[in-house]
Formats: sequence, C-alpha cells, structure tokens
Amino acid sequence: MAAANVSKISESAFTVQLRVLHALILRELKSRYGNRRLGFAWALIEPLMFMSVFVVGFQLIGRGAPSGIPVPLFFVAGFSPFFMFRDLFSEISQGTRGQQSLLMFPQVTRMDLLVSKVIVNALVSISVFIILVLGLYFFGFSFRVEDPLGVMIGFGLMIVLGFGLGLVLGAISIRYEFVRSISEPLMGRPLFLTSGLFFTASMLPPFARDIALYNPLLHCIELIRSSLFVSFDSRYIDLGYVCMFALILVSFGLMLLGVFERQRK
Amino acid sequence: MIALENVSKSYGVGDNVHQVLNNITFQFPYRKSVGVLGANGAGKSTLIRIIGGADKPDKGRVIRTSRLSWPMGYAGGFQATLTGRENARFVARIYGASFEDVEKKTNEFAELGQYFDRPLSSYSAGMKSRFAMSLSYALDFDYYLVDEALETGDARLKEKFRQIFKQRRQTSSVILVSHNEQTIRKNCDVATVLHNGQLQYYDNLDDAFMMYRKILFNKSVA
Repeated sequence: MAAANVSKISESAFTVQLRVLHALILRELKSRYGNRRLGFAWALIEPLMFMSVFVVGFQLIGRGAPSGIPVPLFFVAGFSPFFMFRDLFSEISQGTRGQQSLLMFPQVTRMDLLVSKVIVNALVSISVFIILVLGLYFFGFSFRVEDPLGVMIGFGLMIVLGFGLGLVLGAISIRYEFVRSISEPLMGRPLFLTSGLFFTASMLPPFARDIALYNPLLHCIELIRSSLFVSFDSRYIDLGYVCMFALILVSFGLMLLGVFERQRK
Repeated sequence: MIALENVSKSYGVGDNVHQVLNNITFQFPYRKSVGVLGANGAGKSTLIRIIGGADKPDKGRVIRTSRLSWPMGYAGGFQATLTGRENARFVARIYGASFEDVEKKTNEFAELGQYFDRPLSSYSAGMKSRFAMSLSYALDFDYYLVDEALETGDARLKEKFRQIFKQRRQTSSVILVSHNEQTIRKNCDVATVLHNGQLQYYDNLDDAFMMYRKILFNKSVA
C-alpha cells in the first residue's frame, strides 16, 4: 500500500507556484464549463442578450454610432471589456474577503487564488470578445483592425484596474462588512454610465467630459475603439493617467490586504 | 523540516484581542508522531491553520521545507461539481505527483467503484470522508497533518485505514492535533501541550497527559 511519489522538495518556489496556478486554472475552467450542458455558451449568451437590447434600442430611436462605426461593433467594443472589468472586480473582491478552503493546501496561497481568477476571467472575457467581433464580421459588419496592440493594452489595463479595485474593496470589507453591500451597486451603476459604453468622449458636452475623464475605464474603452476602428480616433486618451491609477489601486490594495489580513474571522 | 519560528497569532480588535498563539518556536521532530494536546479553545484549529498555511501568523514565520499534507481527511478544499477523479487530479497536480498513481491509490483505498467518476455532490457523507481520507493517503508526504479524527467508515474500513496509518508512521512524520488523550496515546510517540498560547514539549506521553489533566481540572496551573 505504497503512496504516489510527490515531487522533490528541492524545487524552486517559482516552479511550485506555476504548478499550483496551472492546477487552479484547469480546475476553475472545468468546474465552470466542464460539466454543464450549456457550458461556455452561457458566457456568450449573457453579454449577447445585454447588447442586443441596446443595439435594438439605438436602432429604434434612430441613432447611429459615431464616426461611421457599425452600431453592434460599437457596443461590443464597449460592453465586452466593461463586463470583463465588472466580473473581475466582483470575483477578486470576493476572493480577497472570503475564507478560502483551498488555502488548506499548504502550497496554495491567497495570491495564487487571486491570480488564477484573474487569468481565467480574462481568458474567458477576451475569448467572448473575439468570438463576438468575428461573428459580427461574418454577418457583414466589416471593419479593419487598426492597431491590435492598442486593443491588447486597453484590455490589459482594464484587467489591472478590475484586479486593483477588487483588491481594495475586498480588503476593506474584511474589516468593515458594510463596504461589501454598498460596493457593488455603488461601483457598478456610476461606472456603467460613465465608462463610455453608450457614447464617446467627443460626444459629451465639455463640462461632462472633464468629469467623465476622471474615470480610467473611459480612457481604456476609447483606446480600444480607436485601435479597433480605422474610422475612429479619440483625442482624449491619457494612458499615463490610467497606468498611474492602476498602479496606485493595486499597491494600495496589497497594502490594505496586509493590514486587514489578521482581522479575518 | 516543519518548524514554527516566533509565531504569534491573535484574533479580534481593540479591547477584544485574544492572543491565541504567543511567540511559539518549535521544530516538529522528524520521523516521529507528535501529538498536540489542547483543551477546547486552546487554539488547536488556529495552530493547524497556521502550520498548513491557511492563515498567516501575525508575527514570526512557518518553515515548510518538507512535503506537508493538508489536514488529513479534510474535504473542504474539493470542488463538489467535479468528480472524484478530477479532484484527485487537482491534488496530484499541485503536489507534482503522477495522476495515474494518485487516482489508482485513491480508488483502491476508498473503494468508490463507479462513483469515482461522478461529481462529489452525489456522494454520501460517508463516501466523501472516505474519499478525502484516501486521497490524503494516496500521496507520499514527509509530514502528515491530522486534525482530530483519523477514523472513518465501517469496522472493516477503519481497520484498513488503521493499517495504512501504522505503515506511514514508520516512514513519515505525523503532527496530530487533538483534545483526546486516547487518540494521542494510540497514534503518537511524543506529545506537546498547547496552553496559554504556548507549546510545551514532552518526550514522554505520560508526562504530557499529567500536565494536560492539571490544565483541564485545575485552571490555576499555567
């Protein structure tokens, strides 16, 4: 009745961490999409339904998207990254706040759990985005991607922002429970309305634009649309501001997590 | 090596701070089965969580250079929507062990039959604990971390697990945390007593039990 050999202890911490991340990612993907009949299709259906409502609404009131971007593409380029941000934010704040039974495995750390969540969510959201864009392309909404790198940077920054904000609010709600119940509606609604899902910065009146541009998500979505569509170019993107914002969120979040760690019940 | 170095842990805030572990330094002996005796509320669970890395100490550090198990038989880390096999693979993956070995051993110990390929959510309580225990035994650890219960299943399975445990005791180290003298007497070579945030080591089990009884029945002894 011998036991299976466990890998050698002399491995570097880095190898162990990669192995743990690999295992966590597979586990997460499997338990989300593996055994359900609809599986991955559901990840497509939700944003699809949401966006159709707005596309149809825009058609009904006879409004088009700016700069000759086809309306459905305009929405996909805004909603997809925004949903990714929203899902990341809520998963990370839960993962930061909660007791995690997986931590019972000695080599699994909380950071491993958070990082694997970021990777899985980003992977799924980006796949959904690509499928939607390709789908629209084949339905005749043709466009030429102007700058793939810009699209990636836009998504990348939104991933870091979602991670950072989730970390900050998750850590605070370890100690101050009420933050949990106000954070989602508070962050969700204002951000939903000011991130440029329904407009571009240039469509806003100057005073509203000045305020909206404090929202780093608006910069990211402007960047994604500018990079995606040849016919559209935003003059309002300030990447330095977004990077600064993201950096501050993440470092502040990590610091708070350290402070509130011992107050976990 | 599994060791605690100046480990402190407290819970609560403000006036309500409860110091559970107070500056503990202790190296768990190699190839011995160490019992950790503690009364209710002495901080046994906290100690287990700190050793296993589920909680971080406020001060000090835990050195884990040996292959350490998760608390044996603990099923909380498994995913109910995944099958026994998939959960076994997850564990094999994080420990860098071979899938085949781990799957084979787990099924051999747990005797789950076709249930091995069904989601954990379809298991009965007994099957789940059998599965969890078997998976802990399917891997070869330097240190087995045990929280209270070692026993699971009917008389025959109990005997089977007892045999496996006896065998493992000869080649590996055990850290067994319990409030029960009998459990410690049956399964341990040496013991420590957890009291007032301190871990006191005894080479001789009887000395440990004497101290433990004093603590239980006479609160004035520290």
